[in-house]
Amino acid sequence: MSNFDAIVVGGGINGLVAGAVLGRKGKKVCIIERADRFGGMASYAVDGGPSLAHALYNLSPRALKDAGIDVDRATFTGQQIDTVSLADDGNHIVFKANGVYWNDGSQHPQSKAWCELIQRFKTYGGLLRQLAEAPPPGGHSASLSRARLAEMLRLAKVGIGLKMLGKSEMRRFLQVVLSNVYDIVLDDLPDGPVAGMLAADAIRGAATGPRSPGTVFNLIYRLGHGGTITQPTGGMTAVVDTLVDGAKAADCTLLPGTEVSRILVDLDAVTGVQTADGQTLRAPLVLSNLASPLTSQLTGPSLFDIEATRRIRNIRARGTAAKVNLRLKDASPLPGLKSEQKDARLIYAPSADYVEAAFNPAKYREMSKAPVIEALRTEQPDGSHWVSAIVQYAPSDLDGGWTQEAQDRLAQITVDTLDCALPGLREQITDTQVITPDQIATATGAPGGHWHHAEMSLDQLLTLRPANGISRYAFGPKGLFLCGAATHPGGDVMGLAGRNAALMALEVQK
Amino acid sequence: MSIFVDPKLGLIPSPFHASLAEQNRAHSWYDWAGYAAPSVLDSMEFEYFALRNQSSLFDISPMHKYRIAGPDAAQMLNRLVTRDIRKIKTGRVGYAVWCDEEGMVIDDGTLFHLGDDDWRLCCQEPMLTWLLDAAWGFDVVVKDETHDVAGLSLQGPTSFAVLEAAGLDVAHLKPFDLVKIEPDLMISRTGFTGDLGYELWCAWDKAEALWDRIWQAGTHQGLRAIGYDALNIARIEAGFLTAGVDFQPVHATERLHRGQTPFELGLGWLVDFEKGHFNGRRALLSKQHAQRSLLLRCDVEGFKPAQGALIYNGRKREVGHITSGIWSPTAKKNVALAHVRMPDAQRASRLMAEIYTLEEGKWDTRMARLTPVQGAFFAPPRARATPPART
Ligand SMILES: Cc1cc2nc3c(=O)[nH]c(=O)nc-3n(C[C@H](O)[C@H](O)[C@H](O)COP(=O)(O)OP(=O)(O)OC[C@H]3O[C@@H](n4cnc5c(N)ncnc54)[C@H](O)[C@@H]3O)c2cc1C
Repeated sequence: MSNFDAIVVGGGINGLVAGAVLGRKGKKVCIIERADRFGGMASYAVDGGPSLAHALYNLSPRALKDAGIDVDRATFTGQQIDTVSLADDGNHIVFKANGVYWNDGSQHPQSKAWCELIQRFKTYGGLLRQLAEAPPPGGHSASLSRARLAEMLRLAKVGIGLKMLGKSEMRRFLQVVLSNVYDIVLDDLPDGPVAGMLAADAIRGAATGPRSPGTVFNLIYRLGHGGTITQPTGGMTAVVDTLVDGAKAADCTLLPGTEVSRILVDLDAVTGVQTADGQTLRAPLVLSNLASPLTSQLTGPSLFDIEATRRIRNIRARGTAAKVNLRLKDASPLPGLKSEQKDARLIYAPSADYVEAAFNPAKYREMSKAPVIEALRTEQPDGSHWVSAIVQYAPSDLDGGWTQEAQDRLAQITVDTLDCALPGLREQITDTQVITPDQIATATGAPGGHWHHAEMSLDQLLTLRPANGISRYAFGPKGLFLCGAATHPGGDVMGLAGRNAALMALEVQK
Repeated sequence: MSIFVDPKLGLIPSPFHASLAEQNRAHSWYDWAGYAAPSVLDSMEFEYFALRNQSSLFDISPMHKYRIAGPDAAQMLNRLVTRDIRKIKTGRVGYAVWCDEEGMVIDDGTLFHLGDDDWRLCCQEPMLTWLLDAAWGFDVVVKDETHDVAGLSLQGPTSFAVLEAAGLDVAHLKPFDLVKIEPDLMISRTGFTGDLGYELWCAWDKAEALWDRIWQAGTHQGLRAIGYDALNIARIEAGFLTAGVDFQPVHATERLHRGQTPFELGLGWLVDFEKGHFNGRRALLSKQHAQRSLLLRCDVEGFKPAQGALIYNGRKREVGHITSGIWSPTAKKNVALAHVRMPDAQRASRLMAEIYTLEEGKWDTRMARLTPVQGAFFAPPRARATPPART
């Protein structure tokens, strides 16, 4: 039996950050991870293929700093990449930091409108980031309304930022943030690939279509850290390794390959955990990187109020993003792309309407026949070359289940779609990997294999994340906290949920 | 409570309806959980005195009954209710309350420990969805037995003799014991009258035969069928609370802050903070010493029933109201259950009830002094004697 000040259950991005933050505050911390390697969803991969997560755009400098990790490490700064929206006629368009361009380098007519829109969203994103860096304000609220959000922004002391926005822009912000991306984007842009790219980014990982309410929030969320997208040097594994180093530097004990089978409670206070291999580890503080349903199961339903259990059960977490990794026969460039586009983020979303249509089958538990794709070309440490693709919509609850046949179909659809825009790609593919949301759920415990462990929808944000009454990380018995993507502010390779939870746990313990 | 019931549906006959209808000379029925239940059969006074001096039969089939069975039944129930049910042994019945996450009482009821991992909860309010929610994560099966199990309450000093005459030997049954006395019949020494009495439980389709059997056995014991009005007097004498009258089941309230904690209802003795977590425990820990009001049992000056009276501390300050008030024929005094806000409830020396009277078309009020008392207004030793007396 070992004794710690705190135990972190699960070593995903958020568990690692939480552990390091606690360790740096002098706590004796143990991070227990079921898998043999850390990183959870971010680093999950099969047979040497690319990891689930492939790009950094939301990594929180604040979280890294509190975890004692150098923000400017090459791993993170990596290589900034442009976005290319693929077109079937080969007339791709390129999104750069300073505008939108045609394949031939000339400026796209919607460049200015796009820049203005993105600029506005980035400003809003900065405000949301301030909200994200603080635990949601206390107190109860039944719903997230515009008035409520305004109140919350005030409480969270984003007031200064808001004042800088000015009154009319502030009104616009509140109007925009809760609405759907389709309406907002098509107010300023005609439908087409520029609007399509924004729509695709707004629904990535979500069980929503561009016309679903709250989708603008998701887009702004992605832009909360400035919107720069990088492909980390050494891949997501290197990012995770850096976080692991951070945890070690904070004197955390790391236990990979160890499954927590029970969170122990005496009367109404946490006393430690039990592992599947029979160890008992003691600590008065347990932070769970798992979503609330799993955490409550590990703790036992008796420890939670019936209403809390009901809310937990009803948290919506339906994964819709599958990973399709295409192994390439060699290092040769992808057909149809210019050399400066070879590392770009490729988006297949020719219009906002296309994205909405892709969502329709998911409502009926079917996969999209014309999917929305985000793809990156990556090289693995063993020298193999891949197209790492996030394909939507591939609902976790697919009618008939994710049989081999269904997986093959998804791979087929993905290749067909990409091959249309990049003719000849098919010939370069030697192998395909399909990782469906239900596999992600099994491998990592993420409910429904959901990107954020819980849908980022208006009823599950801020003080309602993951559910009313548990938004401030404390969960049931004394000393138990949630610290994963399901908590405020949400997922992505970001680390704020873990960092906020650790700070909150420290504060409550005082 | 605002559950809409289509009046066209009418009321459901209880399994004893035929027998009750035959005796219901007053033709006075009321709606009890959708059933036609008698308020008075012929004369409330006769019925009441039969209950206290001989014996009475009251149909309790409309009570909600839930079977909770499975390996985790005790664990699930212990998380549901505030008391430690591990102390209710097999073959015993326990009174319990359960709360929402804010520590407000949802309902009270009786828990029958039928066998290993096998329980029945009997209560006033519909509770199935709540129990299903409460069962999530536990290896238990919750079954609504409301319409499967008929119940008959036999209460009064000769009730033991009536059972004996019916060929049912319950001499060994102590208060809150239960016994499966015949394959189709369970008897528990329980009731809502504070008197010697039993509750008889059988399958719905065996109800009429049971009624006839008890009825015949009761001919020489002064057995009478009774309605709710008589029972209500007895239960107030016993100091028992009625849901919706003496407390507001919190799930049935629509206005904020109408719920009450067990401590506010004088049921703090049912709350066991040491047993581990139960629903509302964290809220109750912080609320246990912060009662907003108290439920008091009071002697009322004079003889006018104080039902519905407002309560003043001194002459002016309104501090509460009477939830149940009667002239108690047995205790020979005017008694009431009252809600009095804090801190006046604890400094109760000047509490006065403003009682409203209507006499031949003339409304009047009179002020009556309230004297809080501890315990029941009427608690005869015969209720506890084992074996019980025959008269
Ligand atoms: C297909 C896909 C692609 C994505 N791509 C990107 C991307 O490109 N960029 C980006 O920023 N985000 C991306 N995301 C989102 C991002 O990966 C997640 O939001 C983030 O990694 C969640 O981190 P977490 O630490 O909160 O949870 P997780 O990563 O889910 O961590 C939970 C950890 O707990 C462990 N665990 C589970 N049960 C136990 C147990 N009983 N005992 C011990 N340990 C246990 C799991 O193994 C896991 O390591 C993607 C998500 C998906 C699904």
